[in-house]
Formats: sequence, C-alpha cells, structure tokens
Amino acid sequence: MTSAQKLAERPRTFGYDRAERRLAVRMVAPSLILMFLVAAVPIGYAVWLSLHQYSVRQAGLSRFVGLDNYLDALSSGAWWSAFGQTFTFAAASVSLELVLGTAMALLLNMTFRGRGLLRTLVLLPYAILTVVSAITWQTMFEPTLGLVTTVLRGLGLPGGDIVWLGESGYAMAVIVLADVWKTAPFVALLVLAGLQVIPDEVYEAAELDGSTKWTTFINITLPLLKPAIVLAAIFRTMDALRVFDLPFVLTRGANGTESMSMLAYTELRENRLVGEGSALSILTFLTVMAVSVIYIRFAGGNIRAAAQEKQ
Amino acid sequence: MKASMPAGRRRLAKSVVATVAMGVLLAGCGGSPAATPNSTAAAVDPKSAEGAKGDITICGGKDASGIHKNTTAAFHKANPTMNAKYVEIGSSTDQQRTQTVQRLEGKSTECDIFMMDVTWAPEFAAQNWLLDQTPVMEKIKDRLIPSTAQTALYDGKYWATPFYTNAGLIYSAKGKVAKPATWQELYAEAAKAPGNGLVYQAQQYEGLTVNFLELLYSAGGEAVNDKGEVKIDSPETREVLRFMADGIKNGSADRAVMTYKEDETRLAYESGNFGYERNWPHVYRLLNKTKLAGKFDVSPLPSFDGKSAASGVLGGWNFAISAFSQNSGAALAYINFATTPEWQKHVAMDNSQAPVNEAAYSDPEVLKAMPFAKELLASVKGAKPRPQSPVYPQISQAIYKNVHSVLSGSASADEATKKMAEDIKTAQDSF
Repeated sequence: MTSAQKLAERPRTFGYDRAERRLAVRMVAPSLILMFLVAAVPIGYAVWLSLHQYSVRQAGLSRFVGLDNYLDALSSGAWWSAFGQTFTFAAASVSLELVLGTAMALLLNMTFRGRGLLRTLVLLPYAILTVVSAITWQTMFEPTLGLVTTVLRGLGLPGGDIVWLGESGYAMAVIVLADVWKTAPFVALLVLAGLQVIPDEVYEAAELDGSTKWTTFINITLPLLKPAIVLAAIFRTMDALRVFDLPFVLTRGANGTESMSMLAYTELRENRLVGEGSALSILTFLTVMAVSVIYIRFAGGNIRAAAQEKQ
Repeated sequence: MKASMPAGRRRLAKSVVATVAMGVLLAGCGGSPAATPNSTAAAVDPKSAEGAKGDITICGGKDASGIHKNTTAAFHKANPTMNAKYVEIGSSTDQQRTQTVQRLEGKSTECDIFMMDVTWAPEFAAQNWLLDQTPVMEKIKDRLIPSTAQTALYDGKYWATPFYTNAGLIYSAKGKVAKPATWQELYAEAAKAPGNGLVYQAQQYEGLTVNFLELLYSAGGEAVNDKGEVKIDSPETREVLRFMADGIKNGSADRAVMTYKEDETRLAYESGNFGYERNWPHVYRLLNKTKLAGKFDVSPLPSFDGKSAASGVLGGWNFAISAFSQNSGAALAYINFATTPEWQKHVAMDNSQAPVNEAAYSDPEVLKAMPFAKELLASVKGAKPRPQSPVYPQISQAIYKNVHSVLSGSASADEATKKMAEDIKTAQDSF
C-alpha cells in the first residue's frame, strides 16, 4: 500500500489513527523537549538578554531597550571591522586548507610503506589544543628569539627583521598559518574518505581511453570528490567564522585581527555589558547561519547532483 | 467592534498590548543611570574583629610567591581561634576576575575575602558586592603609603585595604647605558647604539595602558580627573604619543615591544641585546638568576622632561570583604594582621613584594633582602592610581587600543587622542 492510499483512507480509520498519532507525539516528545532545552532555550535566553541593558553602575538595575543593542552594534565601526577581518581570515584559511588538504589526501591515498602510520601522524596537529599550538606559534614568531625569525635571519632571507605579530597583514598571515597547520589534516581526512569510495573501475576505464594523469584528476577525481570537499568547506567555514582562540592568544585582536567572537567576548566578559555582548553573539550566530544556508543552497545542489551522477 | 473580533485575534491583540505595556514599564523602571553606588552598602564594624573566631577563606590568583601561604599560616599561629584558608581561583588576572564576578553574582558565601586588583573596587562596589571598609581604613590609614590607600577609594569611601603594592622600575645595563633622569634622556641614550634599546609592554592589553599612563602622568597629563571628567584630550597626551611612536620608529624602543607583555619583555632583556627594560620589581630576583646577574642598575621611573615630577602607575593587590561573607569579623582580623608594620616587613623579606607601609622600606632586614627598596619606594610614592570608575575595563580598552594604533602607525597622535577621549566618554555613558 502506498502512502498516498494510506492518506486517502485516513477519515475511515479516524479513531485508530488518532490514538496512533497521540502515541507518536508521546514517543517523539522526549526528544523534542530535549532539543528544545538544549538548543532553543539558550538561544532564546540570549535573544532576551540582547533586548535589555543591565547596569554596570548600579546594582540590579536593568531596562528593556528593544533592538537598540543591535542598532548600536550595526552602526559601530568595531562590529564592521571585526566582520571584515573574520571573513578575510575565513576566506584565506579555508581556501588554503582545501587545497592543501586535498593534496595531502591524494598523497595519503597512494600505496606506499608506512601509509597507516603516516595517516595517523598527519592528524597530530589536529589533536593538539588550539591554545597550546597558538602559544607555540607565538614563541616561534617572537622577534628576537623565535625560531622562525632566527632561521630567516640566519639564512639571510627576508622576514627575519619583521615583527610578525606586531604588524597588520603579517599578524593575520601568522593566524591563517596557525589555522591551516592545525586543520588542513582534518580536511585531508574528510577528502581521503571521499577518495576511497571512488571505484577503481572508473580509473581503469579512463586509462583505457588514454587519459593523462592530469585530465583524470580534473575530469574524474575532482568531480567525484566534490561532495567531500564541499562538506569540508562547510565545516571549516563555520569554524573559521567563529574563530576566537588564535587571535586571542596571538594578538589580543590587535593589528587587524579582532574577530566577531572576540568582540562579543570583550563586551560580555571583560566589560560585563550583558545586553550589548549578547546582541553581538546573536549577530555572530546569524552571520554564521546565513553563510551555512547559502553554502547548503549552492553546494547542497552540488552534493545531490554528484550523488545522482554516481548512480 | 471589539466584540465582533474573533477570539483568536482578540487574544493576539491582548498579548501585543501586554508586551508593549511591559516594554514601556521596563523602560520606565530603568530610569537614568545613577553614577554612585547604593548608599545603603553595609559598613564593617571595626570592633567586630575583637574576639572573632572560626574559619575564613581568602580567594585570589595563583600564589606564585607563596605570600598567601605564609600569611595564612602566620595568622593562625598568632590567632589560634581563627583559621584562614587561601583558595586559588584563577591562574591569570583575567581568569581571577571572571571567577570573582561569578561568585559575587551568585552571592556565594564561599569566599570571605577577595584579592582585588587595584582597578576593580569601583566596579564591584557599584554592584553592592563589597562591604564598606571606611571605618576600618580611617583607623589604619596613617600607617599606609597614601597613594596605595587611594586605590581602594571610590565615591568617598574605602572598599578595600591594600595588602601589597607595585610600581614600575627601570632596569639599565651597567657599562652600556646610564641610569636615566628623564624619559627624554632614556630614549636618547637608547637610540645611540643597537644594543642600548628599551623594551617595555606594548601589546594591546592592560599593560599598555599602564606603560602609557606612566609617561603621561610624568609629563603632567591625566586621563580622568577626581571628578570623573575626561582630561585626556590634551597637549601632553599628544606629546607622549608622538614621543612613544618616534621611539619605535628611530629604534629607541625595539619594534617588537608591540607584541610584548611582562614575560616577553623580561625574556627579551635577558638575551642581553638591550640597554633598558621597564618592568615590575619581581624581575629583579629573576634577572639575578641569569647571565646578567649583578650587571644591571635599578632606578625609579623618571620624570618626562625634567619639568614635571616623576610619576608612575600603581599596581598591587587589595583585600575586599565580600558582602556575602558569613564571618566578616574574622576577615577583618585577618586584614588587620596582614597590614601590621611587622607583617609588612615579611611581605618584602620573604616574598619580595612591595609593602604598603613606608617604614618597612628602611628596615635593615628588608634592605638586605631587597637592595632596591629605596628606588621602589620612590616609584611607589610618586605613582598614581589608574582612573577609578565602574567601567574601568572599557576606559582601559579605549586607552590601549588607541595607543597601540599610534605605535603601529595606523593612526596619528592627534586622531588617537580625540578618539581616546570620545571612547572614554562613551564608556562613561554606559548604563
């Protein structure tokens, strides 16, 4: 019996159907309530906070200000510069991670001795706490004693006398580098998983048709990898737009590296401006949401198309 | 007309009216922000310390020098009926502040005394989180260095008692550079040779506010006056900003200082590549453990150009009694004990911290353990508190962000000065 027929029969089995539906509601209710508590309540509470101001000058005083906190944020230079800087960071780091991660995945997919070990080792940076790796990078780029600067100076290469974390542009470059170092392996792992489901027959057929390695890569591997790459891109972009720990440790947001999350943190934690900070958090949340929706609308089609092609 | 409204829509209309009304009501409740804390804050009774007994807990940062361990132990020995316990609630000052705020917001009774950075009192007092210590301070004020007592003052009342203080010092490499009498002299000497340079703290954080205000105060300028008026838009501010930016441009100060906090500064100086270092007194002991041991001089912060008096910015830690303490009498007894001239000597001798009691600095035992005590006292006595305001964190951000933008060359001294004044005013207008 198809579902359409089932629907058509509905009125006749009304009593039974209602009982069943009630049961269904009861069965689903616990998870719905849980979802509500875990997701909706905190977000709802943050929205509620963001519509108020809580006095930092007098105990227990608060007032409802409607959308004022949002309007203040959106008309401030601080929000838009953090917005621009976060997107610059996300664009640079995600694109580098995708290119490098894919390259790493292709290498790891080849057969050679010690492949299993290498696949594990490659993930090492991803396993290290971001704050710890950030402190390590900070030490390496330290102007007088840092490893990177000392080596560059020793070899007479440019860059040895640059205060990397103290200049706009260079500071962002170090933050991007630290992020790429850490998460390119994660992208590699996702892409590797994608590579492994491509059947060998496709390659054999291509070889029979006289396809070169490069054309095989462009016309076969890459299109079939698209879903995996898109998935990695979504994950990484969402993470990158929420970046906090790297700039917090490396520059404290100086020299054009303040991210949206850092701005919200400063208002909420350091300045205890609960309403204003919540508004910034919600704005950050909405930005990340909007970007993921765009991704899924565009790339979601890609994933489906790729899946259909495969069939 | 109303009666003909469908029930659903009527309910909706009702709720809309209710919401709007509530909004208006809440907005009305807010009223204009008051600048002063509630005058109803409870004051500690100086007599409550007499005959106090039982346990108290002191909450503060990491006890790296062991000062709190020593003090609590000695307190128990002198007062067997009372027991004090020190709890570390954060490894950095930022973390400690977050933890303190969380406990106070939740009206926790866990901590009787909070260790307070000298900039926190106004903010916490405004939230009614602290007991008013004025009656106590009036009694012991005479034995404290006046500038240190000032850090606990807000709205005409004392909200804390200073435990130990802190002020910046200049370390200069013997044989390479001369001890400076003015900042101008120091910068000129530092620019003479590559190995003469100055290192200080100019990363975008609280430390930069301190480093900048030290020069500004020495130049006769100020940020916010006693009445809370913003005074930073001044020729002195412009001059100091230009002076600092030029210093980085012409190599008086290493460009890398823009990434330095206290520890980075110390490590860079220990490499032996620099002539001058601006840092806190604790560096003295550490520097003597390196290859530079005995090869450096210590001097108080200099005046700016010889025209105005040398000055600086006070650091250090104060004791505040939580408004939710269950044993404020014993807490007070502890504070009385820790600020006695006798115990203040130990603060210097055993833990190399700067006493808040002036007599301690000339004590022979202290001088033996802290040979630079005279220079330190000069720095402490000349130093002034940072702006005292419940919105201090925002005021400090307004200062260090704009100073940093001048040092990195992305804003002119004039632009940054105007922006600083504007940002501080915005901060002061916080609800």
